[in-house]
Amino acid sequence: MTDGGLFHALLFDYTLRTVALGAGALGVVAGALGCFAVLRRQSLLGDAISHAALPGIGLAFLLTGSRATPVLVLGAALAGWIGTLFVLGIVKHSRIPEDSALGIILSVFFGIGLVILTFVQRRPTAAQAGLETFLFGQAATLMVRDVLLIVGVGAGALLLLALFWKEFKLLTFDREFGGALGFPMVRIDILLTTLLVVGIVLGLQTVGVVLMSALVVAPAAAARQWTNSLSVMVVLAGVLGGVAGVTGALVSATGGGMPTGPVIVLMASAVVVVSLLVAPGRGLASELVRRFRVRRRVRADVVLSDLYALAVQHDESGEHAHPVAVLRAMHGGQAGTRRSLGVLAERGWAREVEPGRWAITPKGVERARTLFLPGGEEDGVETVGRGGVAPGGGL
Amino acid sequence: MIRSESGAPAPAIEVNDLTVAYGEQPVLWDIDLTIRQGSLTAIVGPNGAGKTTLIKAVLELVPRAAGRVEVLGRPYREARGEVAYVPQRGSVDWDFPTSVLDVVLMGTYGRLGWIRRPGRRERREAMEALEKVGMEAFADRQISQLSGGQQQRVFLARALVQEARIHLMDEPFQGVDARTEKAIVEVLRELRARGDTVVCVHHALQTVREYFDEVAILNVRMIAAGPVDEAFTEQNLRLAYGGRVPFLQGVTGFEVPGDGP
Repeated sequence: MTDGGLFHALLFDYTLRTVALGAGALGVVAGALGCFAVLRRQSLLGDAISHAALPGIGLAFLLTGSRATPVLVLGAALAGWIGTLFVLGIVKHSRIPEDSALGIILSVFFGIGLVILTFVQRRPTAAQAGLETFLFGQAATLMVRDVLLIVGVGAGALLLLALFWKEFKLLTFDREFGGALGFPMVRIDILLTTLLVVGIVLGLQTVGVVLMSALVVAPAAAARQWTNSLSVMVVLAGVLGGVAGVTGALVSATGGGMPTGPVIVLMASAVVVVSLLVAPGRGLASELVRRFRVRRRVRADVVLSDLYALAVQHDESGEHAHPVAVLRAMHGGQAGTRRSLGVLAERGWAREVEPGRWAITPKGVERARTLFLPGGEEDGVETVGRGGVAPGGGL
Repeated sequence: MIRSESGAPAPAIEVNDLTVAYGEQPVLWDIDLTIRQGSLTAIVGPNGAGKTTLIKAVLELVPRAAGRVEVLGRPYREARGEVAYVPQRGSVDWDFPTSVLDVVLMGTYGRLGWIRRPGRRERREAMEALEKVGMEAFADRQISQLSGGQQQRVFLARALVQEARIHLMDEPFQGVDARTEKAIVEVLRELRARGDTVVCVHHALQTVREYFDEVAILNVRMIAAGPVDEAFTEQNLRLAYGGRVPFLQGVTGFEVPGDGP
């Protein structure tokens, strides 16, 4: 199908529009809530919740015989929530560390879920159940009432997120300080975790239990790359999640029954990869540029200090010129001396008196002297990192 | 000054028979401590002595196995508005996506209560607090760009906007530069000048005599507590830190005032 055809279908195909709306809304909710999970280093908890939800889906179907979405979602939410409680309980009452507890609960619940699912499928009524779509998700199965459920419950979750924004921020950044202020941090934690459970189980039909946590984690991780503000991060993660949801659902729904979850996750992952590479400040590209600049500056400083040492030895005002070969020899014949001299000349710290012979300038002498001063921790000097290097080193 | 029913000034903090245990291991054993209003008190002791736990027990952040804690003659939950807290700098993730001003504003959250957001008034107060610690130029800075000393001053500013009268600080001088140390000491003295009480978990024994009026020497049990002149003796420190510890030589005397580490 061509792009024009897809666009046309989105506008005029009722089913496709429904599916896209559902997956998009889901991406927005999961992305926004995911920010807190990522910042609280609970990405794995999302994975445990979604896997733990599977037996809930199977049991809900077995007990009620209904495959109406609200019933299954409720079962999923209960199971996911119980799984979370088990994780917290194991961490609190045993010596098993959190990552192991998450692994245990994830695999045990998922295993139980698969057993129940297999059992359900062997029954004569299995044909209509179609519960196996919950493994990898099938957006094409979304009905209008499913989408309404996602939009309604998702909007409620986002509303609570906005309402308790301050409390959630406090919990995420400095839980103990919040406790000292008198906020019941345990209850705030339960509320936020419950919202995460809700966001995850809403997506199980569309994305599937296996990959749902990616839709929670990926948009948030990508958004973090682009901003240093929590509110911007949450909005951006919502947008990225929404885009991943819509495109993933469309590709899946028009691509001959390809499961939606993997497609959505691939979309979200593409966004993450791009963000990791090119985001300003935190991206790999800008990190490389920063490292290159630091290295160039350090090399130039080395050459400058050599020029300074030579000038001091010759006891002249620095106007005595030295051949490049001497400077190169002074630091073990390393390449790049000429380039460093170029950098120094740009700053006015050294000049080429005659071709191939260089001298330090008075300004360069001044600078070289500061190089040897002990640099204390003072305002204005940033650690070489996110802030970049201040011109002239800021010493 | 808050007075008790008998008319005498209530102690800022009164700890009676406090025991705290993590699992079966007691971290604090039968602690008695009275901190008078308007004093600067240092809590010193070796690693694992329970200094941080003592502060957290006062703030009801850790469960008490036994004992009683009163703040200004009341249980902590009733006196909460009078108490500011500066946790250890390393206890939070400084790569959290937020600005300096935002962190300082958290000090107003207790007063604001549920759901309400900080407004113009809170912002003004936060800026004033940042000025007091010399960080006003950093208000919009992302917190990951701060040096250790700057982080500490941000935490101090956050405590200042709490508008409390008792200030509990966990190692405010830990790993800070000389300039920050000076700024913090200045703030502590200003607080004392207006009658506030400050309690600091403190590591540098060399500066105890210069910075503080009172000292509590702790190692699971309370070894000694009282005015620095009386309690901060070599003998008490040996009891707390154990055996012959060469670095203790001279730190209790007047002859090395404020000789930094």
